[in-house]
Amino acid sequence: MVIAIPMIWLLVFFLIPFAVVFKLSLSEAAIARPPYLPIMTWDEEGILSFILNIGNYFYLLEDDLYIYAYMQSMKIALVSTLICLLVAYPMALAIARAKAGSRNLLLMLVILPFWTSFLLRVYAWIGILKTNGLLNNALLWLGLIDQPLAIMQTDLAVYIGIVYTYLPFMILPLYTSLVKQDAALLEAAADLGARPATAFFSVTLPLSFPGIAAGSLLVFIPVVGEFVIPALLGGPDTLMIGKVLWSEFFSNRDWPVASAVATVMLVVLVVPIMLLRLAQQADEVQS
Amino acid sequence: MTTDAISPFISEPWTDPSNKPFIRIRGISRHYGAVKAVDNVDLDIYKGELFCLLGGSGSGKTTLLRMLCGFENPTAGSIEIDGQDMAHVPPFKRPVNMMFQSYALFPHMSVAKNVGYGLARDGMPKAQIDNRVEELLAMVQMEGFGVRRPNQLSGGQRQRVALARALAKKPKLLLLDEPLGALDKKLREETQFELMKLQEDLGVTFVVVTHDQEEAMTLASRIAVMADGKLAQVSTPRDVYEYPNSRFVADFIGGVNLFEGRVTADEENHMKLQSSEAGLEIHVGHGVSCSPGQRMWYALRPEKIRIARDRPDQPFNVVEGMVEEVAYMGSLSVYRINLDSGKQIKVTQPNLERAQDNPIRWDQRVFVSWDSSAGVVLPS
Repeated sequence: MVIAIPMIWLLVFFLIPFAVVFKLSLSEAAIARPPYLPIMTWDEEGILSFILNIGNYFYLLEDDLYIYAYMQSMKIALVSTLICLLVAYPMALAIARAKAGSRNLLLMLVILPFWTSFLLRVYAWIGILKTNGLLNNALLWLGLIDQPLAIMQTDLAVYIGIVYTYLPFMILPLYTSLVKQDAALLEAAADLGARPATAFFSVTLPLSFPGIAAGSLLVFIPVVGEFVIPALLGGPDTLMIGKVLWSEFFSNRDWPVASAVATVMLVVLVVPIMLLRLAQQADEVQS
Repeated sequence: MTTDAISPFISEPWTDPSNKPFIRIRGISRHYGAVKAVDNVDLDIYKGELFCLLGGSGSGKTTLLRMLCGFENPTAGSIEIDGQDMAHVPPFKRPVNMMFQSYALFPHMSVAKNVGYGLARDGMPKAQIDNRVEELLAMVQMEGFGVRRPNQLSGGQRQRVALARALAKKPKLLLLDEPLGALDKKLREETQFELMKLQEDLGVTFVVVTHDQEEAMTLASRIAVMADGKLAQVSTPRDVYEYPNSRFVADFIGGVNLFEGRVTADEENHMKLQSSEAGLEIHVGHGVSCSPGQRMWYALRPEKIRIARDRPDQPFNVVEGMVEEVAYMGSLSVYRINLDSGKQIKVTQPNLERAQDNPIRWDQRVFVSWDSSAGVVLPS
């Protein structure tokens, strides 16, 4: 019973929509409403025939725009995940090592941005990063630069937006795994002659691997499909798969190809997740 | 055979003022705001001792231990270990190792890696580490457990691994924080003796923190009883038990009956204490520095009291009372007796014979008596 409810949830809100998308990806585009042909038809003699069109998938291979967009999305997701990890780790560590009383306040500060609309926060970054925006004006006023930096509509702006948006998703799992580490372990390491840096790399870091894995997945997966941030902060050459999907769906009205793009993205993301799960299970069995 | 050849255990190094202490603690304090966790403690511990810091929770014993290994910085005072001042020496540079109360084994490392951790930090070659780890695991009877993870071990096995890890670097001083606290009673008793044997074989100085007075009595060469951040008494287990210096220590270590009284006779070889609490004039068979009329306390251990139905043939230290309760404990019986003065006392008698005809039962009147040398007179 307890298991049944999440199962039903997954079935209704995940598996069925995915089945619909998958079915769409196998149909043929048409100028019609809806803009695709059914895959299941009754012909005049009353015989049921299926027309499965896997051409949409081959189409993705033919045009290197798609492969390029996938690679680009992966690259941006990977780099952003790494930056998030590097920025979030010291923050999570500091919160975990703070006095018990101030931890909740610090965590609140991490979560606080969620109280504002995500879209609003991304628009705010435009205000900061644009040519005559806050950042450039501040740097000019300080005399650090002679002319405004072109940050908006570059990959840099996309990275800034993504790291800013997804940082809490990295901090929280890291914090959870760091805060439950027994402080006596570090004392034991110091007692046995480990300097603070050695103790960190031999005790704290390896023990936080589950947190690193969880945080990285929480950042990497949604960033691969991210659409809003590259659309608002990125330039025309920032090609991410989310943007491609959007334009296939809304501009080209090619629902089957858009569905194929989405299906491939899902497969690309599911494979590393499954591998990670297997690795974790193997580790649990071992320990 | 010269005295030098005798182990420091037997020679009692603290009795010889020419001996240099291995640990010199002078005026050490650790205050947290207004709380004085450790307050102006002076203590000398000698090489080869198995020294116990005994006290209740909040007595400051753990704080003192943590200052020895450098996890706490003293508010005032100094610590010298083996002639070296420990101020500003970080934990990872101290010639000290610690066995943690929680054992603090690294959960992501094998037993062998745990034990070899300190050696690897010292840059010992891998082959040498492997040999030393084997040796250490054999020493704590854990051969063949090197590949296991800590969570695959029982509590007793973890304790052994923690001990092996703490001894790996051959420290001159080993600190043990409640080393047997997490073990069940039977295992604790076994391990106590193993720990003592190991300490004797290795000649390492042990400082053990414990709240268990029985454990301290069994293990220690000397005990420091701590209360409220101060040392209440530092003595051998026998002296702490037989010659406590205060009511606190007398009460903390073992059971005791305390009688308040006033000095009525103060001679060179005996004194008398009039105690309305006990309902008699207590005769003490040795001189005590005191003045007539002074308020003092008489501490009497339960096993040093005799009870009988007939009046014993002795001129002093006899009172009458009524047996309130008898508890048979196997090796001994515990009696609660209400003296006619109204004070309830505890008496233990060994069960010397298997069957007793006509044993003393509750609600019987008995005579309670003790020797003039049985108790201790305490000024505070």
